[in-house]
Amino acid sequence: MSTELGVRPGSPPDARRLRRRLRRTRRRHRTVSLGDVLTDAYVLVLFAGMYGWALVSEVRDYLGSPSGRQGDPGDRYWLGVAAALAVAGLAWRGLRAVGPLVVSPAGQSWVVSSPVDRRGWLLPRFVVLLFAAVAGGGLVGLAAAVATGAGGVTDLAGSAVAGAACGTLAVASAVVAQGSPRRAGWARFLDGGLFAAAAVVAAALVAGHLTGFSVPPPTASLGWALGSAAVPAVVVAVLRAYRALPSVDRASLVSGAQVADAAAGAALLLDPSFLTGLVESRRWRSIGVVSSRRFRPLGRFGVLVQAELWRPVRHPSALVVWVALLLTLYAVAVALPTLAGPAQVVLGFLAVGRLTGGLRAVGRSAGLRRSLGGGDTVLNLAHLVVPAVSVLIWYAVSLPMVRAGVGVLDGLLVLGTVAAAYRAATRPPMTYGGVAVDTPVGMIPVDLIRQVVRGPDVVGALIVAQLLWP
Amino acid sequence: MLTVRGLTRRFGQLTVLDDVSFGLAAGRLAVVVGPNGSGKTTLLRCVVGADRPDAGEVLLDGRRCYETDARTRALLAAALDDIDFFPDLSVVEHLELVAYAHGGSGATVAEVIAELGLERARDQLPSTLSSGQRRRLALASCFVRPRRLLVLDEPEQRLDARGRAWLADRLLREKRAGTAVLMATHDAELAAATADDRLEIGGGA
Repeated sequence: MSTELGVRPGSPPDARRLRRRLRRTRRRHRTVSLGDVLTDAYVLVLFAGMYGWALVSEVRDYLGSPSGRQGDPGDRYWLGVAAALAVAGLAWRGLRAVGPLVVSPAGQSWVVSSPVDRRGWLLPRFVVLLFAAVAGGGLVGLAAAVATGAGGVTDLAGSAVAGAACGTLAVASAVVAQGSPRRAGWARFLDGGLFAAAAVVAAALVAGHLTGFSVPPPTASLGWALGSAAVPAVVVAVLRAYRALPSVDRASLVSGAQVADAAAGAALLLDPSFLTGLVESRRWRSIGVVSSRRFRPLGRFGVLVQAELWRPVRHPSALVVWVALLLTLYAVAVALPTLAGPAQVVLGFLAVGRLTGGLRAVGRSAGLRRSLGGGDTVLNLAHLVVPAVSVLIWYAVSLPMVRAGVGVLDGLLVLGTVAAAYRAATRPPMTYGGVAVDTPVGMIPVDLIRQVVRGPDVVGALIVAQLLWP
Repeated sequence: MLTVRGLTRRFGQLTVLDDVSFGLAAGRLAVVVGPNGSGKTTLLRCVVGADRPDAGEVLLDGRRCYETDARTRALLAAALDDIDFFPDLSVVEHLELVAYAHGGSGATVAEVIAELGLERARDQLPSTLSSGQRRRLALASCFVRPRRLLVLDEPEQRLDARGRAWLADRLLREKRAGTAVLMATHDAELAAATADDRLEIGGGA
């Protein structure tokens, strides 16, 4: 049998008609009703609002309490500025990694690869993204103002406007960069610039404290000023983003969809390894090739430790994060002295987490363990050497900012943090069966909870021990 | 029809494609061969615009080819290994969608389904298809729409003997109809039966 080869080219339908046709076809097989979708959205918004408000209230109560007011107000303000810059850097990196415009892999294979108008296809997503940025940014600005004790309606409104403007500016600028990747070198370095600015502010805060110099916070709220200044930039960025829509290419949509899928999988299944695995794979792909070295003949254990030592040398980002977290601890100890103890444990756990790549690899792969041979205990111990040394150094260099003198507690914290890192890195693959318990967010399998808290449970116990220690 | 000039793609310090250049005329089939890891798939992904080369250019009919250009997408049909499916659309609906998105009416869909042996699966959802049927559906998506350049990445994968024979016959007919075909394959028989030009890459790898 042979088919007619010459399928005649016609004029492609406009994006709106194609979208309508696809929606109609999919609706025929869909079992989920609009009511189900709205119910899910309502539950999501309800729980996000409840827990978000609880978090904001706790922070506000703490900062308003005598414990939260122990530091200098100027130091607290500049710590907030450094945190805001770091969060902005993370948000920009996230936006760029996702796209921010995303089309599902199926949409790319079957629709975006056709000659349908690219701007027409992407425009509804862009509009939704802008609304989400306005609402999300505004809410974050409002929450920050409430948490830090702003009382007046004018101040609260100013913070909301500033948040909405900054959120919209960030999203629109990220779309501009997505549409012109070759001309958007600035976008690649913006997150680094924001992190560097946060580090400079934090370092200046610590240095100022040590030398007895403190920059007072501004007397008036900057929300309205920031929001008003950002509005013209927002208008320009949105117009440029609209113009850039036809230039958003498949390469950027492919890359972003992978990250979005992994993030959605991690959130839905409470398994961050979906996302961390992809991030790690991309991190090493950006290196590409390394100069291979010969192992020194130090026995099996020594060879495994050598391999562990090469990892941070080949991609020193783990060490950079380690130093950045140490600086964060110093800044927290200066501005919020009563939080220094818990911060020492939590940030130490996060810092060592980036150095447990080897432990995670042997923990999740039975095949790798088989090929390396020997017992699991020796394998785990060998891969625990680098994390354990890093924890020891962490407590040694952070101790002067937290407590005077070394005691039994410090030994307990070192061992506990190593144990927490070990537990988190050797977390078994998620299983979703077994006994389920009824929680405020629905039925959740007990095993799932056990696996999610594996590692952070020890951190929580260490914080309690530290607070109760005489 | 297709001209590739100085195409280079690197992952960090690793150069996967190094200054690759070639041309492909209408009605001819070029087969890309090379060992595993030589960059065959990366080359095809750069040609169709699913990946961005670090240097070099791809030209269609002498014009710089951008994936964002609707004309490029109208001329170029591709079946790479990154194809995904709508979980709630049947086989026939997928193909009608492609035909419609290219301005067609879907008149050839039934014929293509029959030719690829997908009649019994025409109403099945993608999650119920075997890997071979998914491969056939991916190939079918190229034949229900107009095309002047066909880019295929190891199209023989997961096809049975009858399917491979059909594929060879189909590619010969595509050539006779004036379609240029760029194909990566490890199947020496398929290459011998259909290829006019041989593009060897990564020989030193």
